[in-house]
Order: sequence, then C-alpha cells, then structure tokens
Amino acid sequence: MEPFSFHAPTKITFGDDTAGSACDVIKEFGGKKTLIISDANLIKAGLLTPVLDGFAAGEVPEPVIFDQVPPDSDVHCVNNVAALARESGCDSLVAIGGGSVMDTAKVANICLTYGGDMLEYQGLNNLPSKLRPLVAIPTTAGTGSEVSLVAMIKDAAEGRKLLFGSVFLAPDAAILDPGLIRSLPPRLTAATGLDALTHAIEAHAALGSPSPFVEALALEAMRLIFKHLPRATSNGDDLEARSATLIASTMAGVAFTNAGVGIVHALAHATGARFGTHHGMTNAVFLPHGMEFNLDAAMNRYASAARFLGIITGGEDRAAAQELVGAVRSLTSRCKLPATLRELGVPPSEDSELEELAVVASTDPAIMFNPKESSLEDIIDIYKRAY
Amino acid sequence: MAVFGSSEELERVMVALWGRIAADPQMSEQLIRSKLVVQFRYRDPEGILTVDCSNGQGITVIWGSGPNKPIVEMSMKADVAHDFWCGRVSVPVAILTGKIASKGPTPKALALLPVIRPAFALYPDVLREVGSKATVSG
Repeated sequence: MEPFSFHAPTKITFGDDTAGSACDVIKEFGGKKTLIISDANLIKAGLLTPVLDGFAAGEVPEPVIFDQVPPDSDVHCVNNVAALARESGCDSLVAIGGGSVMDTAKVANICLTYGGDMLEYQGLNNLPSKLRPLVAIPTTAGTGSEVSLVAMIKDAAEGRKLLFGSVFLAPDAAILDPGLIRSLPPRLTAATGLDALTHAIEAHAALGSPSPFVEALALEAMRLIFKHLPRATSNGDDLEARSATLIASTMAGVAFTNAGVGIVHALAHATGARFGTHHGMTNAVFLPHGMEFNLDAAMNRYASAARFLGIITGGEDRAAAQELVGAVRSLTSRCKLPATLRELGVPPSEDSELEELAVVASTDPAIMFNPKESSLEDIIDIYKRAY
Repeated sequence: MAVFGSSEELERVMVALWGRIAADPQMSEQLIRSKLVVQFRYRDPEGILTVDCSNGQGITVIWGSGPNKPIVEMSMKADVAHDFWCGRVSVPVAILTGKIASKGPTPKALALLPVIRPAFALYPDVLREVGSKATVSG
C-alpha cells in the first residue's frame, strides 16, 4: 500500500436540536466571548434562535452577531467580520449558514488570530499556527466547509477568487443539526446534494492522497446520497433523509479535503465565475461529462463505487464505471435538476470566450488532483458536451 | 540528516540544474512562453531560487529574489526539492499533505511539470559536477 496521510481534525456532533449546544462546544475549545456569523435570511427564518438560547443559558458574555454575509462572500465582508470581532473583544467564532458563511468565518479567523493582511496567508499551507476556536453549523447539506481545510473568498476588486488551505483552517467543531436544513427548498436541496456527490466521486478518484479512510468516507457518502437525496428533495420534512444527506455531505467534505477534487469542480468554478451559475447545479451538469472524460484513468475507482452501491454486480470494470455515470444522470433527473448548461441559463459562447474559460479552468487549483491530465481542447470539449 | 549540508551546496546544485534547463531548447521553450516568475523558497538549509521567464525571451535564474515579483511561490524543505528531482515526489500530493506550501496560481506552474521532467535524468550528473555529496539513491 502507498504511504498516505489523513487529516480529520474537526469534532463532529450530530442530532436534532443540537445547534443549541454551540455555546458548550465553543467553551470546550477555550472560547469566552463569541462572534456569531450568519446571514440576514437565516436570522429571519429563526435558525439562530436555538444557538442564541444556548448562549443565553450558558453563563457567558452575550455573543455579538454579524448577519451581513452575502451569498458569494468577499474580502470586504471578511475584513468587516474580523474588525467587528476585534472591536468587540471576541476570541472565538460560530458560523451558522452555508458555504459562504462558513468560508467567511474561516478566513476572518485568520485575520483575527494573526492580524495583518489576509493576502499574506493566501494559498496552500501558509498558516503558521492554530487559529482561534471556530464552530461551524451548516444550514445546507453540500459544501463540506464545516470540516474542510480550505476556504474560497472573492476578491472583487482584483476579479479573482482567493484560495486559503491549511490543516489549521478546519473548524474545531461541526454541529450537524438536521432540523436546520428542513426548510431548504427542493431545488437547493438537490443542488447542494449533487455538490456533495461530486465531492465524493471526485475525491474517490483524485490523485491527492488516496487512502482507505478517504475511500470509506467517499463510498458511504455516495451511498447515502443516492439513497436519500430524492426523498430529502421531494419531502423536506423527512428528517431521516435530511439527516442522511447532511451526514453524507460532511463525510464527502472530509474525503475531498484529504484527496482533492478534479476537473468537474474546475469547470464549475470557471463557469460560475463567468455566468454566476449555482455551484451545486453547475457541478451536477458537469459531473457525468467529467466522469466520462476521466473514465479510462479512473475506471477501477468508478467500477468499485458502482459495485459498492449495488448498481451492478460483477461485470467488466468499463461497464461498471459506465453504469455509475448513468446512475449519476438518473439521480440528477429524479431530482429535477438541469442536465445541460443551456437549461441552467448559460448563454451560447464564441470560441474565443470558451478558450478564455478553459484557461481559467486549467489554472483552477481543483484540477491539480484530477486523475487525468487535460489540455485546453479537452476542457472545451467537456464544456461543449455539457452545453 | 538533511540531504544538502549547506546553503552554498544547495545553491550550486539548483543554479546548475536550472542553468541546464534554461540551456535546453526542448525544455526552455515552453517555460519562456509561460512568462511565469516562479520562486522556490527552501529551508533546511535556507535558500531562495527565482526562475524568471517574464520577458518572453529567455530564462533568468537568480539565487535570491529578482527584480520581478514572483507570480507563483513554492516553499519546501530542500530535502523535498531533492526528492522531486529524483522523481520521487508528486507535487499535488505534496501540496495536499503540507510538504509544499504555495502562493499564487499554482496550477499554472504545475502545468509545466511535464516540460521539465527530462531534467530528472540530468540531476545525478549535476550533483556530481558541482561536487555535492547528495545522491539520487539517498
């Protein structure tokens, strides 16, 4: 067996009504005064109430709330969060929201802990030491940011995405409370679920640091998503299905943060940056096409997944791998997600525009871990097939 | 024990190796076309190597920082660099496992890895030529 390393530093708490334990968890990690980071819609929907009730009963200073995180957070927002934390004397953070909220909290924690300019720490493995206590409470089941070692933030002024990655960036604790995702609309449930499935499938085949740990997490995440996502999408009150997809998303998050993702994410990032498409839906469109591109390089990985999922028993690896691709298409269709970029609302592009998009995708960090090398022509070909 | 005994030894090896790469049209052509400025920051022993292709005409190899700001920075132990030139390191894996830290658009630099792969075969000769005690088997 090849040598590997595996990081899973985040304590995970799961259960209905566990969001109220955030105060106890942050105290466990040494936090005394906490900044809660969220967005206004979640507050309006009452999702912060159990967290605040927990703090009220926790005999700690009243937490400070930042509720202005936008859907695609940026440097400006991160700086505002860090400034509020410093001005209020906060020494710890609780993030409650989707990927944008959690990534904002993770990067703000860099600023809060070290001071200075966040750009000094941008990139991979540039954080010198442990950060302040951070608890993440996801309100979608897709990004895996509650356990991942990476965060992405938009630098609107420079027109780029900043990537931060370090073992110190993972939250100290994640609280998975399925009640918090009960009100997620069907389309978003499906899209975030397909994001998690893409994490699991790409991690299972990625070059990063494959190991039995990654394999176990990725395969079980796939199984839970294939089994429960249609139910969670069609009936949001199905707490068993909600729980399964939430757990699967976190498992896939641990898997991809150790093994990497691949060309599907690279294309989704480039397309999302250009056309503003939803990340999960864009992943859903590209996933079968990316898998077909990788089929030769990842055939045994896809085949093992197809057999584990019971999609096929025995047979040749190629046939089994193709069955997995078919199962992904079928799941996307059952969840009523767009199957093409055109359905997603992406306008037609000139060849020169496609080349520009391919250049962006080819320099996306996700592509480093793809199991097969790709040329600009390959990337354009996948895009055209997905269109 | 570190592969390179001193910063001077590391400098002799890396400058000579990149000099050979710069002089080889097969390898240098694509590097020049990239117009990248890549800086390698080594520790144990310390050293900074800058490979500057920004003028699109040639490759300037500088021991230390050059006049142009690096587009990509990669930091690692000198032992990791040695293992890379011995063909024993996958850079994406080394990044994911924390052995290499990177700043800037790393995939742009990674895309050039196949281009410099022929230099793996030159590395043992370079070690001998500059009198390094390091060996590719170590």
